[in-house]
Amino acid sequence: MAQEEHGAGGIADHLNYWSYKFDDSNPFMQIHLDTMLTTIIVAGLLVGFSIWLSRRLTDGAPSGAQNFMESVVGFVDDTVRDNFPVHNPFIAPLALTVFIFIFLMNCLDIFPAFLSGHIAHLFGLEHYRQVPTNDLNLPAAMAVSVFIMVLYYEFKLKPVHFCKELLLQPFASLLLDAKNPVVKLIGVLLIPLNLILKLVEELAKPLSLSFRLFGNMFAGEVIFLLIAFLLLGGGAVGMATGFFVGLGWSIFHMFIGLLQAFIFMILTVVYLSIAHQPAEH
Amino acid sequence: MSIDLTFIGQIVVFLTLLVLLKKYLYGPLNSLMEQRSAKIAEGLAAADAGKEAKAKADVEIAGQLKEARKKAQEILAAAEKRAAEIQEEITNKARDEAGQIVQAAREEVDAEVNKARMVLRKEVAGIAIAAAERIINAELDGKRHSKLIDDVVAQGFGNA
Repeated sequence: MAQEEHGAGGIADHLNYWSYKFDDSNPFMQIHLDTMLTTIIVAGLLVGFSIWLSRRLTDGAPSGAQNFMESVVGFVDDTVRDNFPVHNPFIAPLALTVFIFIFLMNCLDIFPAFLSGHIAHLFGLEHYRQVPTNDLNLPAAMAVSVFIMVLYYEFKLKPVHFCKELLLQPFASLLLDAKNPVVKLIGVLLIPLNLILKLVEELAKPLSLSFRLFGNMFAGEVIFLLIAFLLLGGGAVGMATGFFVGLGWSIFHMFIGLLQAFIFMILTVVYLSIAHQPAEH
Repeated sequence: MSIDLTFIGQIVVFLTLLVLLKKYLYGPLNSLMEQRSAKIAEGLAAADAGKEAKAKADVEIAGQLKEARKKAQEILAAAEKRAAEIQEEITNKARDEAGQIVQAAREEVDAEVNKARMVLRKEVAGIAIAAAERIINAELDGKRHSKLIDDVVAQGFGNA
């Protein structure tokens, strides 16, 4: 690993995806094969583990993997139960999936920053990004899925209330409570503004959800690369420093990964629980 | 960092994973945990019931023990009373018997004394008669005076 390979351009180089372009002119028409491959492998391993575990479950004293997974499931169950006004058997599995999946993805950051790239080079690939949560597509996909579920429950559980909120918030009192017809007219005229404000409010949920995770993990990876680039060049001392600084950041970054997985999960639960809140009048 | 087809792919992966994890991980684990908590609750209830039954049995045992002790005390008291009675009875009987023996002995002695007295009386009468005969033989008719002497003798012994 020669020093001259690295530099300011080197970091940007390492942030490229292994992608397949269906249409060169349209940037949407490409797929990140590394993200897809990693997520499918991790998801497959997770499902395999689940099937393996489900075959050897015991309702006696649990041990080992079952014990661990039971504590995770119990933790997620408690979180959902604390936040949810009504029982919905779909929410806890969703929260569990979000939590475990994101956490496992974030954990991939424990591998050295250049490792996946080097392995990819062995197979003749240009680039390979190892942590799928660094790819905005994954957080966005999950956040949008959650957002669609929120919209689904809003419309299913309280359609009238939701539409009213969409059109009349935050300036409802002008239209509903005012006696003066002029003020009422202003209230009517403000409906589009209400709609825009409400849409921004709603859209902020998936946006903040996805960008929070993406930003944290992406920044983490950039810092790994920076540590590597800045410290790796100085011979044995530089290597050792790089190793220890990188190790320190790894540990901290693992914590961030866990934290982000938890935040994503709890916000998912909270957004859905808001959708389940009975409409107040 | 751009949104592209990966986004669609990730939605598919995420939803598939959601369905599979619900089926294979959350579902079995959750039902198992619920089952187990039901089992534990049942066990705790059974333990409570057992504890209650034990307390009840303890109280019952204590009551029975108390009763048994009381009964034993009663039996002991009765036995002591009976023993005292028997002792007194025996003592009384022995006293009575002793009294009877003494009485019989006394009667026997009296009878012996009377008998001896009779024999003596007869002998004394005979001796007296013989003596009187000898004394009076010369001058008195034995038949005529013997009644007189018997009277005297009887009178003498009657006074003695």
